[in-house]
Amino acid sequence: MRDVRGDVVRRQLHADHGCNVQRVRSICGYLIQGQTSAEAIAARVDDLFADPIIEHGAANSLFLSTDLFEQIPDMVVTVGFKPGVTDNPGKAATDGYLTLFPEDTEAKISTYTTYAFYGAGDLDPTWLAGTLHNGLIERALVADSAACQAGTWPALDYPTPPEQVFIQPKTIDLECDDETLETISTEGLLALNLEEMHAIQAHYRDEEIRALRIKHGISPDAPTDVELECLAQTWSEHCKHKIFASRIHHVDHETGEDTVIDSLFKTHIMTPTHDMQKDVDWLLSVFHDNSGVIAWDDTWSVCMKAETHNSPSALDPYGGAMTGIVGVNRDILGTGLGARPIANTDVFCFGPPNWEGTLPDNLFHPSRVLRGVHAGVRVGGNESGIPTVNGAIVFDDRYIGKPLVYCGTVGIMPRHLPDGRPSHIKTPVAGDIVYMVGGRVGYDGIHGATFSSLELTEESPSSAVQIGDPITQKKMVDMILEARDEGLISCITDNGAGGLSSSIGEMAEYTNGCEIDLATVPLKQAGLSPWEILVSESQERMTVAVRPADQAAFEALAHLHEVEATPVATFTSTGMFHVRYGEETVAYLPIDFLHDGVPQLQLESEWTPPQQRPFVTPDDADHNELLTSMLQRPNIASKETWVRQYDHEVIAQTAIKPFVGVERDGPGDAGVIAPLHGDPHGLVISCGIAPRYSDIDAGAMAAAAIDEAVRNAVCVGLDVDKMAGLDNFCWPDPIESVKTPDGRFKLAQLVRANRELERVCRAYRLPCVSGKDSMKNDYGSGKEKISIPPTLLFSLFGDHPDVRNSATSDFKDAGDRIYLVGNSQQELGASELSFMMRERNSDNGIGGNVPLLLHPEKNLATYRQLSRTIHQGWVKTSHDCSEGGLAVALAEMCIGGRIGASIDIDGTGNGDLWARLWGESLGRIVVAVKPEHELDFLATMKGHPTTILGEVTASSVLEMVDGETALISSDVNALADAWKGTLDMTGGVA
Amino acid sequence: MVPRVAVLFGFGINCDHETKAVFELAGAEAHRIHVNRFISGDSQLEDFDILAVPGGFSFGDHLGSGRLLGNRMRFAMRDALRVFVDAGKPIIGICNGFQVLVKTGLLPGPAAGESPDFVQRGSLGLNDSGRYEDRWVTLEFDPNSPCIWTKGMTRMSCPVRHGEGKYIMPTPQALEALSTTHQLTVRYVDPSTEVGTGLSDTALPYPLSPNGSMRNVAGICDATGLVFGLMPHPEANYARWLHPDHTRGTAPIGKGDALDSWEGEGLQMFRNAVEYVKQNR
Repeated sequence: MRDVRGDVVRRQLHADHGCNVQRVRSICGYLIQGQTSAEAIAARVDDLFADPIIEHGAANSLFLSTDLFEQIPDMVVTVGFKPGVTDNPGKAATDGYLTLFPEDTEAKISTYTTYAFYGAGDLDPTWLAGTLHNGLIERALVADSAACQAGTWPALDYPTPPEQVFIQPKTIDLECDDETLETISTEGLLALNLEEMHAIQAHYRDEEIRALRIKHGISPDAPTDVELECLAQTWSEHCKHKIFASRIHHVDHETGEDTVIDSLFKTHIMTPTHDMQKDVDWLLSVFHDNSGVIAWDDTWSVCMKAETHNSPSALDPYGGAMTGIVGVNRDILGTGLGARPIANTDVFCFGPPNWEGTLPDNLFHPSRVLRGVHAGVRVGGNESGIPTVNGAIVFDDRYIGKPLVYCGTVGIMPRHLPDGRPSHIKTPVAGDIVYMVGGRVGYDGIHGATFSSLELTEESPSSAVQIGDPITQKKMVDMILEARDEGLISCITDNGAGGLSSSIGEMAEYTNGCEIDLATVPLKQAGLSPWEILVSESQERMTVAVRPADQAAFEALAHLHEVEATPVATFTSTGMFHVRYGEETVAYLPIDFLHDGVPQLQLESEWTPPQQRPFVTPDDADHNELLTSMLQRPNIASKETWVRQYDHEVIAQTAIKPFVGVERDGPGDAGVIAPLHGDPHGLVISCGIAPRYSDIDAGAMAAAAIDEAVRNAVCVGLDVDKMAGLDNFCWPDPIESVKTPDGRFKLAQLVRANRELERVCRAYRLPCVSGKDSMKNDYGSGKEKISIPPTLLFSLFGDHPDVRNSATSDFKDAGDRIYLVGNSQQELGASELSFMMRERNSDNGIGGNVPLLLHPEKNLATYRQLSRTIHQGWVKTSHDCSEGGLAVALAEMCIGGRIGASIDIDGTGNGDLWARLWGESLGRIVVAVKPEHELDFLATMKGHPTTILGEVTASSVLEMVDGETALISSDVNALADAWKGTLDMTGGVA
Repeated sequence: MVPRVAVLFGFGINCDHETKAVFELAGAEAHRIHVNRFISGDSQLEDFDILAVPGGFSFGDHLGSGRLLGNRMRFAMRDALRVFVDAGKPIIGICNGFQVLVKTGLLPGPAAGESPDFVQRGSLGLNDSGRYEDRWVTLEFDPNSPCIWTKGMTRMSCPVRHGEGKYIMPTPQALEALSTTHQLTVRYVDPSTEVGTGLSDTALPYPLSPNGSMRNVAGICDATGLVFGLMPHPEANYARWLHPDHTRGTAPIGKGDALDSWEGEGLQMFRNAVEYVKQNR
């Protein structure tokens, strides 16, 4: 019988490190703490811990000592969790154990895995262990060859967490000098600046406040630790988006502009959307809820949200990414009165997976980050039963400093509940009981919000890292959606950043007050202090308000689904955020101070265009060779190995999948789902991202991302008159300081990106309905500092009238006529080709004209016509033209159809040959149309840039010419091999 | 009469919505029932004509896929399940549901004529590739199988979405016995073979066989042909617009007319069971 777990380790050692180990065997270990005798457990091993057909099981012995391991291994590594870290297999084992031994109610199980290596040569066992575990959350023991010979096997003990020290609520004296105030903030990981500390100080000097506090028996003139922590979470950059809300003095040295912007968010994102809301009736809920909601038909509405989980993913790629995806699922569940998550999107930005340079301390190699992040979202998404329908992976050296992990989720909900309430509107009233539902509160997840508002350092705390538990969450989702349909929910929100402090605090704005008793909150382990309970971000929790009359029904549902639901608070209308621990008041903060008391940041922005060495195209070149090399570039290469490990079809709704074509390995431009079974009405989900354009202009970067998202969606058949977007900004710290001397420039990049976002979205009639920003994506300081390129992910969801009339990128049949919609300009700046040429010759630069979106309203008109040709069923083939330009787009279309094409790029635009072949000008889509539909297609596209390129040929060769000049003649199968090879990284299946 | 279908859910089962939907498209009345409602007695299994255990990740697949949910059913629903099977009512397990039925011992089950004894006789192990994958496969059915779910079906395509789908019997004799009784109902085949000639005992290479199953087995039935399980997802091809080739115009058309010309090949499997119940009541 094959040991597949061992095989996986063997293959990865080969794929990532070139190590050839002959054989790896694996053992799954379970450490049981309970009252049941070892003999009783031994008698039931095959009922639970081992499969009677394919595994061996034993109790109270190490397998390595048995004759199953007659051949002595060269080395052995055992990996288990550190105390207090979420152990999902252990949790499941405990559940299964209770099925067998229901009387052993306090039993607990912890899991570990042992690997035995044979033919491992001179590998260093400690190095080997390092590749198999993350010291932040796991522990490993090794037996080297001598220990193996001696039979001294590694044995882990049960990971008992240390006793938590309960700290009585205490007060913090803020009557001190500024230096001390700053020290209090820094040492407490509060991430509050001096001005914010002053605002807090001033609050406790207010005589009215003091009088009120005396009345409620809480320290009159100083904050409690609970209050200070609560304010720090609520006022964190993560929760309050202080940079987007700041007052910016912006100077542009190019144009001489000198102006003040009062909140980028209000000016460039919220106002345009609210303006558009006046013109359409389908924008149901924008910005204020956990996700943006649009009406989809008369009965159903859809919503979407995207988040980032960058800092946790840098420290623990697996756990960080998994909490990212299951976290954003909860945003959907917490929208309105509860929406059902039905599709996920995942977009990652990593360092190059084949990176051979040095790595700063404490950072993982990009390939390991890729593997871990991928595994995290794979497990999180697959186990939750939510298909991953769209995404991207982008590579750049600077993401070594901080990987970006964007996780998005689409949800669906009935527009009205059975009791008649519109489901997108929360309806809490004072007196409603607030439940904490799902997981328990633990020490894990304290300070996530404030931590993500600081740059990554070697001292970054492990308590900020968590591992998600998708099954606990799935049970909770099942239960909450039933409760919603029974009309039991009056208000609901996610417990994410800031924990109960944020979730109850935000909901309390509806009724203007709440009273929480922290002593009632169920804990993972005893001894948590009140402030820790309030701000812990332990996962898989929702906060749900229920009318007192519905409590019994709500609790019965929770019991049925085996979900923990505990009343922890009551909504009031006192105007106060009132927190008790038992009888003692430990926080008493005015709701308006909590939410609106944070002072507005005043920031400086200064734009000078960055100087880039120009990209000069070579005099002569072998375009065949360039095409092969471009297809192998990680940014262009097929991500199929990774994407195929996501379930993209659960729910039986995915009409356009991530990979398309005869061999199902051509690129899909956008996801299309038909979520109502039996009904072909569809929803398109797409994204756009172009971070490297920021090297020339972050404004152009933003415009390119939006246009790409729209183009991708148009390619499959989007109705452009009903689409909505999400803006997710990831930026390096843009606040000028000693650590960030170029803060003004980085802020100017943000200003330019926002201005383009507004201009393009207004032109496209594309409202942003939800968004998020992550503003501290840097590593280290000084010369060692790594800042990510400013990155906007633009996600789009929109209507598809009938998925039966969709298009995919694969060429279909010989004789189909191929057209370019849009024009190519002389825009090779920051193109993928320019980066490749710079890597080949460092004298080369990437400077030049970056793709611009000069007339977006014209693009929209063109897209609308193209969509019509798809909806008519005339166009079944279309593909976005982006990284690598026309050459790469056509190669991908040939690969998808495993068929050739004959192409002439003459007449496709004003650029030179290089620009027309490799340029990344926006607004371009390649389509193919059957000869019998060609006239209809051309008539519909009349007045819009549409140029004949050639036709699909009954061959296996992609031929490209520019008038009389031959450019490319490449075998399609060879192109497929090149495109699919780079990111395979599996080590095969042998 | 309209057959009533119980579609199990809870604890990480996640294909319950679409499984309910395909039974309804096939003419049944389907209800999603939480496992605990049967265990608590809130719902009675005997009130239903068909039981479906859908796909998903019950208990996260920890300790082996289907093990923990299988145990709950094996210990807490034992009598109800035995009565259900003895009454000749059809059961289907898809993907994780198949794993559950194998781990409970309902599949392949005891010899013909015997009541379910809840003894595990086969298993499903990790895919040889070591990877969970979502990919479309081509299946062929044993025309002589007693399975009532696959009557009249020859070949179809639909996705597999699993990491533990390698079907294993402990001995060659045990496997041969299942072959002899035509319980190896459905197998992965090479789509380039002529329809009806694809079944093979020789292991196909990855990814034609996505997991390395013995004799390319994708699904099996019990001796009565009423209890059936398979790793691939027929419900995910209920409509042709879910087929990867629909934009190419080459997605095969299903046998029925539930969605006019857009019915997918997978729906017939559910219709077979619904019709069986109608004819045998």
